Amino acid sequence: MLLAIANSFWMPDLDAVVAIGPLWGLAGTIVAIVLAALVLGRSAAVSSVITIIGATLTAWICFTHAPRVAQSAWAGLAPAGGSPMLLVDNFAILFILLICLFLACVTGLWMIGASTNARESAAHLRNGPEFFVLLVGSAFGMALMVSTTNLLMIILAIEMASLPSYAIVGFQKRNRIAAEASLKYVLFGAVTSALMAYGISLLYGFYGTLDVNEIGRLVSTELAATDTPAAAKALISVALFGLMAGIGFKISAVPFHFWCPDVFEGASIEVTTWLSVASKAAGLGLLLRIIAAVLQPLAETFDNPLSTTVAMFAAVTCTVGNLAAFPQTSVKRLLAYSSIAHAGYMLMAGAIIWQAKPGSDVANPAFAALIVYIIVYLFMNLGAFGCTALVYWATGSEKIEAFRGLGRRSPLIAAAMTVCLFSLVGLPPFGGFIAKFYLLMALFKSNLVWLVAVALLNSIFSLYFYSRIAYAMYFADDGKPAFSVPAFGRALVIAAAIVILLTGIPIAGGLIGRANQFASHLYPIAARTTFAEPQAAAAKDPIPLAARSAP
Amino acid sequence: MTSIGLQHYLLLAAALFCLGILTMTLKRNAIGILIGVELILNAANLNLVAFTRYRTGAIDGQIVAVFIILLAAAEAAIAIAIFMNFYNSLATIDVDRADQLQG
Repeated sequence: MLLAIANSFWMPDLDAVVAIGPLWGLAGTIVAIVLAALVLGRSAAVSSVITIIGATLTAWICFTHAPRVAQSAWAGLAPAGGSPMLLVDNFAILFILLICLFLACVTGLWMIGASTNARESAAHLRNGPEFFVLLVGSAFGMALMVSTTNLLMIILAIEMASLPSYAIVGFQKRNRIAAEASLKYVLFGAVTSALMAYGISLLYGFYGTLDVNEIGRLVSTELAATDTPAAAKALISVALFGLMAGIGFKISAVPFHFWCPDVFEGASIEVTTWLSVASKAAGLGLLLRIIAAVLQPLAETFDNPLSTTVAMFAAVTCTVGNLAAFPQTSVKRLLAYSSIAHAGYMLMAGAIIWQAKPGSDVANPAFAALIVYIIVYLFMNLGAFGCTALVYWATGSEKIEAFRGLGRRSPLIAAAMTVCLFSLVGLPPFGGFIAKFYLLMALFKSNLVWLVAVALLNSIFSLYFYSRIAYAMYFADDGKPAFSVPAFGRALVIAAAIVILLTGIPIAGGLIGRANQFASHLYPIAARTTFAEPQAAAAKDPIPLAARSAP
Repeated sequence: MTSIGLQHYLLLAAALFCLGILTMTLKRNAIGILIGVELILNAANLNLVAFTRYRTGAIDGQIVAVFIILLAAAEAAIAIAIFMNFYNSLATIDVDRADQLQG
């Protein structure tokens, strides 16, 4: 009897458990922080050390995991005969590695903040364990976001990433600005996730499955086979719009970007750093998966309006971000708009992949360019936010005025900030230039010349507002005394600047080469047919909608 | 007498969805907006359960519905904690009063 019940549950075998190894690493970190707080007492230092160890361990699991994945085409956790709920392939591993690296950096930044900022550090240290549980929880959600193609898991992953983020934005209690930022964040998040749930319920209803790949196949076969009535097209658009609302919120693409500047300004600076990169990278990963699976076959059949949608979104996001950054006086807010603009540049790579026909050779360069862009962007933002944090902790202000005379007051920080800023513009000797160059090349190859023009114009706009900070640092000295910053903080921003310089000059050829090589191993468009094979055996034939009878 | 079918459920869900959107756009009270969100989530649940019953015959839609109920609860818990925090500093949860951050 008991055995029968036990057998009726689906039990994962050891292979399946090993196959999602990196996710166990992050989940285990959360448990370890909670247990350590219970056993050793509440200590911020212990939790931060556990977070760094957990991130390192997860990265190590990723490295040992990658060769196994390469051998066996895909690795997922799937009930027998079903589609994989979790899919930790090389695509996911790349993003999980980036998330782990960034988790460690943000933890480092937090430690610097706790040690230098006397005013806030008491509360900082007292609530350390909660903060790290929430931080690693959102990292876990982001890792889930990039490793699934199942609509249910997509909802769960986005919520897992979002709910802790809302809490850490409002983590400084009795801070009015933080309270307001978290209020706006939670309301926007709740609304977009509700829209997404509704869109997903419609998609499930239309196609009778939750697997994104199968939905993609069904959409394309159905639309190719019959003259679909306009009403059906409209309904599909509504459902897809709902799905996009959830993801657009995570990457702050334009109609869903309103939360971004307010939240970035209101949250404490290490949280802002975390949200500006990790959350965006995870959202882009998820978007690429969905574009690859659902939307790309859709673009082939839906020739007219939808084929340029992503390109339009990218162009508008980029332009709005850059224009709104013009009048800003707070560096944090300026960088928030800059991150919206960069989401736009990265969406351009998505636009290429969206419009790529199967078998064409434009998708892989776009993937490679996007990988390089995300990596470089990660370091640029880490450096820029790191410098802003150090200046804030030393002067108590994050306005542009606080940067006046920084070139004399703290030359190393000013130099690192300058490198990051000009790299964000995309000027030549820095990594940002290389990233943008490959992106523009990929755009050019896929005949999206108008997007190239948009990107170039935007880069010229952005030169103005980024150089306002540089101008303040070097040419607007107001004679304030010099200050020193903690050695670890200096090391962090200088390391970020050095990485930007290195990706900018000597090894850039190697970097794009590796990215290209990697892109062809990823779960890519070009190889989509080969990817679908292991699934095709398990998945049932697509049932035409008419043939499905009501019970 | 017509029997109740898939259409009726879908129309009810669509009506709930529209009411939810209206609630979200018209209410200025944070709790009111959250209620609008819950309406939309319930519309999604109704869709999922109806589609499962009448169309697909599998069970996964109902599983999604259960998870969405769970998510709605989790989201409400964290949202209300944040509203409390906001209330503590402003003594109101009118979202129009959240006007410190602009530009």
